[in-house]
Amino acid sequence: MIEIIEILIQVLFILFIISFPIALLETGKKSKIPTFSLIDKFSINLIFLINILLFASILNINSKYILFSYVILIISLYFFKFRKFNFKSIKINYYFLVPLSFIILISIDIAHELYFAWDTQVHWFLKALNFFQNQKFENLNDLPVSDYPHLGAYIWSFFWKFPSNSFEYLGRITYAFIYTLSIFSITECLRVNLHEKIIFAILLVFLTYNYELFSGLQDVLVFSVILIITKFAYYFFEKKFISNRLQLILILLGALNILCWVKNEGIFYAFFLFFCIFITNNLTLKNKITLVTGSLIIISLRIFIFNFYDTTLDTSFYEFGKTLNIEFSLILQKIKIITFYLIIYFSQNPIYLLTMPVLIYITFKYPLKNITKFVIYFLILNFSFIYIIYLFMAVEVEVKIRHNMLRLIFQTSGFYFLAIIILINNYAHLFKIKLLSKYKIKKY
Amino acid sequence: MAKKFNKNLGVLIIIFLILSFIYNHNLFRKLYNIFVMNFESRLTIKHGYCFRESVGFLRMLKKKYKFNFNPLIVNYEDAVPNSGWSVYDNYNKTDKNHKILLNYPKNLSLHFKPLNKIFYSGGTVKHSNGISNIIFNLKDKHIRIDSKIKIYRKTFNEQEIIIYEENFHKLVINKQIIPIEFKTKKINSIFKPTFIEISNLSNNQIEKINSIIVNLNHEFNLKDFTIIEKFNNCYYVK
Repeated sequence: MIEIIEILIQVLFILFIISFPIALLETGKKSKIPTFSLIDKFSINLIFLINILLFASILNINSKYILFSYVILIISLYFFKFRKFNFKSIKINYYFLVPLSFIILISIDIAHELYFAWDTQVHWFLKALNFFQNQKFENLNDLPVSDYPHLGAYIWSFFWKFPSNSFEYLGRITYAFIYTLSIFSITECLRVNLHEKIIFAILLVFLTYNYELFSGLQDVLVFSVILIITKFAYYFFEKKFISNRLQLILILLGALNILCWVKNEGIFYAFFLFFCIFITNNLTLKNKITLVTGSLIIISLRIFIFNFYDTTLDTSFYEFGKTLNIEFSLILQKIKIITFYLIIYFSQNPIYLLTMPVLIYITFKYPLKNITKFVIYFLILNFSFIYIIYLFMAVEVEVKIRHNMLRLIFQTSGFYFLAIIILINNYAHLFKIKLLSKYKIKKY
Repeated sequence: MAKKFNKNLGVLIIIFLILSFIYNHNLFRKLYNIFVMNFESRLTIKHGYCFRESVGFLRMLKKKYKFNFNPLIVNYEDAVPNSGWSVYDNYNKTDKNHKILLNYPKNLSLHFKPLNKIFYSGGTVKHSNGISNIIFNLKDKHIRIDSKIKIYRKTFNEQEIIIYEENFHKLVINKQIIPIEFKTKKINSIFKPTFIEISNLSNNQIEKINSIIVNLNHEFNLKDFTIIEKFNNCYYVK
């Protein structure tokens, strides 16, 4: 019974902490923030909080002080705005009860299953334990695979420690929170009624959820952060958000920064997303400069921190010395193996099975929209990335593929849900499909 | 009217989907288990008491002996990673004098079956420090081998990693223990299969060999330590 109460307290604690400070900033009618939905605001708060946690971890600031400071910030904002902010004006959003129930259901599954995946046992848990036991950032160098980023493990440790400081899985509930939030966030892009959005979100949970994702691996965080980025990237193609683009860029940069610190491949995904947004949108010079400068700062920071703490790249995982001796027949053989496994693992991922035919259909059937180009460019870069890393990372390509390709293709799979969004928002009316609603389809 | 119907239908579908999710993942049963079983018991069920990661045994030791050090944990089970995480403490230093041997096998060996003209072992081994002896399981009573025995592993580009290579001139009797004292740690690998090649062996001779067993020496021999705690084949030694 105590564990169930602790799970509920944990969920409410996460909900509380990510409900502010954006909710306190939105009081002015002229503010542009209210154009975002409730889930968007949660996502923005989450991006803000995780970035704070990132800098706290790097600067070795005790997480206790971070929590206190964050609460003080919320209280200060409340007092600063208390004349305008009216608690009575807060309406309970019953829509959010659905994702909340999914978070609780997944938390029950996590609390019951408990087991750790291989990589979690070897290093992710030790990283989380490092921060849970108030060890310094540089102590990571004494743990296995110190060159892997630590942010996911830090989030785990932070919510493991607060508020209950008891079971480790309470920290992993945050992953369930971010995952559910990201899925409900992306389905908000659909121009259908609320019930249909919820149904789509639940179906997406059905397609993607299994306990393995929450067994301490970081892939679910990459998946979720990419989904959140996709949602905000989608707004770049919406007319009503044109005036908010600078805000969108700042939010995106915050999310891209998180992506870079969750897993190493996140740096590449961040670059791909940045590049695709850049070339498929007519951004103003100011926005372009912000986006490029922000991205450069993010990458430079990652490299700087890496060097500052003398983190050594564990070369035992990479055999570039051997793989860069390019032999044509060997490369062909590797391409054959990669393609074979790519097909196998694609067929095991229902999102690809669903979204790829849709993407092909909308690409060849209708004139290309910028948003469709955005998806296609990312797809090309993502595929090239998969081929390149498996071609050159290791000699024993099959071993590596069997070990992690399924997880690698899962990380970006959520992004392709955009294909379904494009289809429903733009072309569903052409089929004369009546969903539950009589929602009027708007064109871009 | 139609609008209200659609709204209710939407709510019904959502409720149905949530219930399906609960049913698919057996969440009522799991909720009940959380009520009736504590965290440690559930963790032990998932990671094993003295099998697989043997987390139950490790956590029992930590609780019983109140470790103020991180012991050296050696798990002989191939299919799982090191389970040191379950008792690791950043405040403690590693003390390699205290060892916990999990899933400790009485005999450490590799079994090779014929595969074309060579012999192949599907099994792998870790924590061995060399070859102890070799046993031929023959169809006949004996066989004469005047050749070279090579034990090796192959990389992706067909490169051989030679573990052992020696001339072999013997009349081999069925199931006879042939001592080969050879120290090597190259035999330890859980990722790559191992092969035995006996050169110049005719097809007829190969057909006479059912299998080859290579017995290995333990890196951690129980005889060299004092056993502090034991449960089945899990040991806490010093």
